[in-house]
Amino acid sequence: MTACPTGIAHTYMAAEQLEKTARALAHEIKVETQGSMGIENELSARDIREADAVLFAVDIEVENRERFDGKRIVRVSVQEVIRNPGAVFARLQA
Amino acid sequence: MDVLEHAFACPLSHGLHARPAGRLAAEAARYAAEVTLLHEPTGAVANAKSALALIGLDVGGGDRCRMRIAGADAASAHAALGRFLAEVLPGCDEPLTAPPAGPDLALPRSLRAAGVRWRAGTGAAPGFGQGVVVFLDRLPLAPPTGAACVSREQEEEMVRRALAGVRTALEAGLVARPSPVEAAILEAHLAIATDVALAEAIVEHVRAGVPAGPAVARATASFAGRLLAARSLYVRERAVDIEDIGLQLLEAIDGGRPRAIAPVLARPSIVVAETMAPRQFLALDRGHLRGLVLERGGTTSHVVILARSFGVPALTGLAAARADLRAGSEAIVDADRGILVLEPDAVARRHYERRRRAHRRGQERMARRVQAPAVTLDGRRLEVAANVATAEEVEPALALGAEGIGLFRTEMLFMDREAPPSEQEQFEIYARAARVAAGRPVVIRTMDIGGDKPVPYLGLPREANPFLGCRGVRLSLRHPEVFDSQLRAILRASAIGRVWLMVPMVSTVEEVRWVRARLAAARAGLETAGVACDPAMPVGIMVEVPSAALDIARFAAEVDFFSIGTNDLAQYVFAADRENREAGGLHDVRHPVFLRLLAGIAGAARRHGRWVGLCGEMAGAPANLPLLIGMGLDEISAAAPELPALKAAVARCSAADCRGLLERALACRTAGEVGDLLAAFRGRGDAPGLLQRELVTLGSDSASREEAIEEIVEAMAAAGRTQRPRDLEEAVWAREAVYSTGLGHGFAIPHCKCDAVTASSVAVLRLERPVDWGATDGQPVRCVILLAIRASDPDDAHLKVLAQLARRLVHEEFRERLLAAADEEAVLRCLAEELGIPADRTA
Repeated sequence: MTACPTGIAHTYMAAEQLEKTARALAHEIKVETQGSMGIENELSARDIREADAVLFAVDIEVENRERFDGKRIVRVSVQEVIRNPGAVFARLQA
Repeated sequence: MDVLEHAFACPLSHGLHARPAGRLAAEAARYAAEVTLLHEPTGAVANAKSALALIGLDVGGGDRCRMRIAGADAASAHAALGRFLAEVLPGCDEPLTAPPAGPDLALPRSLRAAGVRWRAGTGAAPGFGQGVVVFLDRLPLAPPTGAACVSREQEEEMVRRALAGVRTALEAGLVARPSPVEAAILEAHLAIATDVALAEAIVEHVRAGVPAGPAVARATASFAGRLLAARSLYVRERAVDIEDIGLQLLEAIDGGRPRAIAPVLARPSIVVAETMAPRQFLALDRGHLRGLVLERGGTTSHVVILARSFGVPALTGLAAARADLRAGSEAIVDADRGILVLEPDAVARRHYERRRRAHRRGQERMARRVQAPAVTLDGRRLEVAANVATAEEVEPALALGAEGIGLFRTEMLFMDREAPPSEQEQFEIYARAARVAAGRPVVIRTMDIGGDKPVPYLGLPREANPFLGCRGVRLSLRHPEVFDSQLRAILRASAIGRVWLMVPMVSTVEEVRWVRARLAAARAGLETAGVACDPAMPVGIMVEVPSAALDIARFAAEVDFFSIGTNDLAQYVFAADRENREAGGLHDVRHPVFLRLLAGIAGAARRHGRWVGLCGEMAGAPANLPLLIGMGLDEISAAAPELPALKAAVARCSAADCRGLLERALACRTAGEVGDLLAAFRGRGDAPGLLQRELVTLGSDSASREEAIEEIVEAMAAAGRTQRPRDLEEAVWAREAVYSTGLGHGFAIPHCKCDAVTASSVAVLRLERPVDWGATDGQPVRCVILLAIRASDPDDAHLKVLAQLARRLVHEEFRERLLAAADEEAVLRCLAEELGIPADRTA
């Protein structure tokens, strides 16, 4: 999940960075973006149930947070993802 | 002898300042009786026949006063002044010229970031300019030394001669028909030069043994001092006018030797003074004058008004400015932002160079838009003309793009006077208008007067319903001699330029025939006398009475053209007076019924081969334009300031679309539905793409984040993507404040969504030298990409593209391509390809 303040640029840059880094590390990833175009690539109940890790790369409140009840969530800022995605993934694996 | 009194409270919210004081003094001066005014709060008394003495009382709004009248004609004076106080004085409160609307008083960010030295002031005359600082001293009011007092009688004679000489010079200046601004100053000075209290004060000094020169100096200083102590800033500003007259008197007494009153400017200069008299401003070489700084004084002083009219930027309210400045150093007056920049550095120079370019571009764009004829996207021409009431308005109207004068109102010539204007007087005015119009048509409307207008010499009857009574052509029928005189004047003017004659308030064909008969007689008379006139002068009517509006076919046989007067036509059609609070709402030119009538008029006129224009207020609103284009009018005529926007609006419309819109509007049931239709109607060609050549800037020499953002916002303004660059800049900074948009690897992606953006855009700025952006990786930024989204219903497709662009920037290959692109076209191509925008969508 990525969500930045204005929802125009950083939301999508973070998503792109996560997807790119996941590919490099041979992880499977699905990224839901919450930006100016609304919710895209929405995570389904099944996606969430089957996930090994959940990452909120957000600067604002997430919509429909109840979906993630019960899961362990790692929360980072959008900037961290863009600046140092490797470290963020390391945290997820911990 | 009895003393008659009037007790009253000053009804003027700004107090008894120059204009009302002048009028009161003039009124009081008509009587032999002594008239004085007691200001109760202070107990001060002034001679009510002296404007200066009255101003010196510093009467504020609401202050209680008592006027005392004693003497031979006290009774009639008392009656007349009573009427004046009750009926005229309250109306003297015209709003004092407000300072220029909201100057953005703020130091530009790039200048603040660079730490420039600056002082805050009040922008009084707009614009900005740079030059060397030159100080200007106050008027040299030292009395002439020299010849001892000859005799008191001779000294007094010298004073009277000087006063008469100054008065004559001022009156001559007024006769030479100066600009309105200079005329206002001359009139104010004339009021001072003819003021009884001033003359008396000077003579009193002389009779006490003081020579003429020093007497003038003392009286001047005393009156000026009194004004400088007034509460009202407006009154304080008049003190310098008194000094100006004092100087003129001293020069006259000194054998007419003019004194040096202003420094000679040798290069671009900023003139700095504590205060300045109008003649000092006029003495400065305007070729070198780049700006003014006045320590004292506000925005209504005569110098400021002159500065505005000559386009010289001016700042006021900079107390002790001279102490901060060094003569000969550089300074920039920025009256738009209300700042004075001291010893500007490279950053400041770049900033003002950018603003200069932006200003020039704005002027060029305005000029292009204004001078081209108004043509729709699909080639339909609509003449856009101006409504005026005086010959003086013609030139400014042409400067704003008027293609003709669609309505020359002549009522002003007939109102507020004792007798009708002579044929010669009228001819000179109409001829001037025709000459200045230089071949463009001038439609002169014959006197459109009714019972509600002040025209005593016509003996207008008292009517219960003046709007349904004797007015317009009906009145002309009653006063054929006055009418004939106007016809002759208009006919004579038709030999000077292209003149059309138009008759108001026509309701029957008989009226038109009567007018044509009078016209033929007038023409015959002129021809016999060998006076030239245009034999083919077009004759037309205002369509404002329903009986004419519904009978265009018949009228078409009698007239050459029609002009629809929608204001009055709508009043008669809806039987509602616009000004009437109860019924005014019914008067709505957008009502489908009214539109159908208008379309009918236009259609009938065209079917019978007659030119048809529209000169009502409806023409002045660009929002109504699609309807008017759809009707197929030949011309619309509106107030000059509206013209540029109207012409631009025409160029954005397609006549075919407008015709379709009109059909739909005619099918609506209410004016509200028509309004909704108009709001939703967007001319084609209104939505440019995201990319544009002008939005790409390479090799920028901006040296800070502030400068770079200023520069890229300026590019948006240059490309017409924003009308409010300051607001756009603030929106970008609002996002920067959350956290820096520097995303590392030398890129920054400032962005915002705001309504200052007229079309969503992508702008690129590449910097010669990288600048610090507070980026996450600490690296300075070489490439700035601005994403600007329109706030109101942004195109989803645009949002997708911008999201895509953001994603692509995460990839090094894309970033490298942008950095390596050789020129602007290459950058555009790179972006277009990457984003899948077809090449021809780059605006």
